[in-house]
Amino acid sequence: MIDNGWDEFEIGAMLRSFDGAVKDIATTLQEDRPYSKNNSFTASVADWRIEKPVFNKDYCIDCQFCWIYCPDISIISRDKKMVGIDYDHCKGCAICVEVCPTNPKSLLMFEEKMDEDEALAGWPEKENKEK
Amino acid sequence: MSEMKKIKNLKEFSTSADRFEGANLLCPGCAHSIIVREILNATNDDLILSASTGCLEVCTAVYPYTSWDASWIHIGFENGSTAVAGAEAMYKALKRKGRLKQPDREPKFVSFAGDGASYDIGFQWISGCFERGHNIMHVVLDNEVYANTGGQRSSSTPIGSSTTTAPAGRVSYGEKQNKKDMLAIMAAHGAPYVAQVAPNKWKDMIKKIQHGFAVEGPVFINAMSACTTEWKFLPEDTIAISDLATDSLVFPLYEIIDGTKLNITYRPKNVIPVKDYLGAQGRFKHLFKPENKHVLDEWQKRVDEKWEYLQRREEAGV
Amino acid sequence: MAEKMELRDIEVWDGNMAASQAMRQVQIDVVAAYPITPSTPIVENYGSFLANGYVDGEFVMVESEHAAMSGCIGASAAGGRVATATSSQGFALMVETLYQASGMRLPVILNVVNRALAAPLNVNGDHSDMYLGRDSGWIQFDAYNPQNAYDLNFIAFRVAEDHEVRLPAMVHQDGFLTSHTAQGVHTLDDDTAYSFVGDFKPMNDMLDLDHPVTHGVQTEEDWHFEHKARQHHDLMTKVFPRIQAAFDAFEKLTGRKYNIVETYNTDDADAVVVCMGTAVETAVEVSNELREEGKKVGVIGIRVIRPWPYDQLLDALKGIKAIGALDRSSPNGTFGMLYNELAGTVVNGDEKKVLTNYVYGLGGRDLLKSQLREIYAELLANAEAGKPTTPLQQLIGVRGPKISFH
Repeated sequence: MIDNGWDEFEIGAMLRSFDGAVKDIATTLQEDRPYSKNNSFTASVADWRIEKPVFNKDYCIDCQFCWIYCPDISIISRDKKMVGIDYDHCKGCAICVEVCPTNPKSLLMFEEKMDEDEALAGWPEKENKEK
Repeated sequence: MSEMKKIKNLKEFSTSADRFEGANLLCPGCAHSIIVREILNATNDDLILSASTGCLEVCTAVYPYTSWDASWIHIGFENGSTAVAGAEAMYKALKRKGRLKQPDREPKFVSFAGDGASYDIGFQWISGCFERGHNIMHVVLDNEVYANTGGQRSSSTPIGSSTTTAPAGRVSYGEKQNKKDMLAIMAAHGAPYVAQVAPNKWKDMIKKIQHGFAVEGPVFINAMSACTTEWKFLPEDTIAISDLATDSLVFPLYEIIDGTKLNITYRPKNVIPVKDYLGAQGRFKHLFKPENKHVLDEWQKRVDEKWEYLQRREEAGV
Repeated sequence: MAEKMELRDIEVWDGNMAASQAMRQVQIDVVAAYPITPSTPIVENYGSFLANGYVDGEFVMVESEHAAMSGCIGASAAGGRVATATSSQGFALMVETLYQASGMRLPVILNVVNRALAAPLNVNGDHSDMYLGRDSGWIQFDAYNPQNAYDLNFIAFRVAEDHEVRLPAMVHQDGFLTSHTAQGVHTLDDDTAYSFVGDFKPMNDMLDLDHPVTHGVQTEEDWHFEHKARQHHDLMTKVFPRIQAAFDAFEKLTGRKYNIVETYNTDDADAVVVCMGTAVETAVEVSNELREEGKKVGVIGIRVIRPWPYDQLLDALKGIKAIGALDRSSPNGTFGMLYNELAGTVVNGDEKKVLTNYVYGLGGRDLLKSQLREIYAELLANAEAGKPTTPLQQLIGVRGPKISFH
């Protein structure tokens, strides 16, 4: 698309979100949507990150705080369960880690290049909170 | 009238299918998209949206990408409210003339704008839309500064804040004016519903948005949008800063129904000092110099007075 | 369903009424408007049609002209027929949104009742507002009388809404001279008028809930030029064939013939004036009188200002030796727009032509027949001499010492 000439796009300063018709988009999950190539869902901001959140399902209580406070629609929740992280759209802000209430946290930030298994292997123990 | 979406708890809410997409260009940790997600997910109805020029607009529709899964329009800085009001007028006309393509569906019309586009340059357009009674919701993403252009003061910028056009310096503590009370102004239009919301209090937000969608006529929502870039705090602290704002009563959460009836919708169990909120942000750090103590005192006094006023209004039922 | 209005074959209408009747007959879905002299009666007439059941669209009385065009843009993007009217300062306030309407390729129709721009404040007709719109990417039609104002509205809707065009269009008429001067106007009945324009055909309509569309994107250095190039290309190549086709169809329907460039007494003319608005009719009268005196003079009226009718003008100016460009707007530091555009049109031709500029009628000052006679005399002298015999630019009809440049 970036190489298209002036005669190779639809007129008007406009874009389409989907290819073809969509019905009930408010109840259609992302994996079932016919996104157009112009929908930012098809793009990635993974290279914005220096650190990435890693999800450890062993400690997760599915409270969904991470889901609601994620600014980048990058917490994947299905059927009321936290499933994982969308690394194409996560910008590494770490809000999910901050709002995670479990002990130890179910989400922690690691260096972007860190292997996920390695991150999970080194997960901290439950913290004894003072007071 | 379409059915209201049932959202009993956060687990249930998390089954929502977002109509706002990632890989937009908003800063990491931006509260704008948290607010937008909460509002859009509050309904399953179709949406017709507009955005005035500002962070949200320039970060979500940069050719060749759009982050919007509902129809959306941007015209200019000042006229997003009127853009969506125009669309609402067209909806009414086509409905009357029997030319709607999906006549059984009743879309909601929402205009998003920053505080600059609402309190300042777009003020007249919003006032016109509210006076005429369009069936629209205008949402201010209130980060108290022209963030898109690098942090200039707006009439929403609070006293003592350091901005690029009213910076703190050797002889100045920054912004000299108090934040404009837009809620009072919009309530004075006789709007059926105006409310102040914050993204950290998601349940309060959803309730107000759903109420706003249910009433006929123009609805004004002022949403506190903590700005990691211009308020100067770490991106991961967006929700923590928002909690400080609502728990210090710097951002009291309340609603005004039919222009008069005021309800406080959130009462912190432990009200924290205003300086805890101010101290967490770089934009206020100069206030903690000894010579600026009077501004801190002034801040606490104003917040106390406003809270007192809101409580008396609520009590009096006017 | 809106009531139909019974019209006589010929109604006595001023230009404002003619425009508002056309707006009623094409069954606009949304009019968002704000009143300003001298276009106010268009908005008032429309309000009266609505109040009496002749209009079933939405009529949104907004708080400024900027909001009027903003509302029109939102309504048009939503997917339906949209129009408004304005003048002068209101037009100036709208300018930002004019570029947005055209860049978004939304076929809004704007009736512009031409009026001077302050300061000093003035409510009367000149072409300052019309000239202000000329780089905004709109199609601009010019009416010389109430009949034109009526007819050109139908042409404008038909051309602008064509999916090959999808560009907004202005129909200009002179403030007061046309807008408030009642004349006999040949009418179309409601059904015929509506059928000529046809049903509105939506395109990228926001209200098509199954096809969400994002309108008004941002484009930076990687995409902006391509969008502007596309719009310019479409203005340069797609508009005139559609206008011509609409003029042809309109002639077939009504017998009234319009041309992209109107010519009067030009066939064997030595000298012509090129002008717009009511000046065309005055000039035609003078030209007719001078023809009787054996003087070979004619008139060229610009019917379509944007896109600029380069080919049509080259053709119309064939064999003509002296041209007077009559500009009814203060050029403020250069030649008048018509002079400059005509110079650009003829400069590469084979024929040598003498081109001079007359600035007239600012703020509603009358253009007198005696002044046109003098202009023609000067132009004929230029034609004879093969070079200018007067200063290149003269301001005519202004008190004080003679004022001219170059």
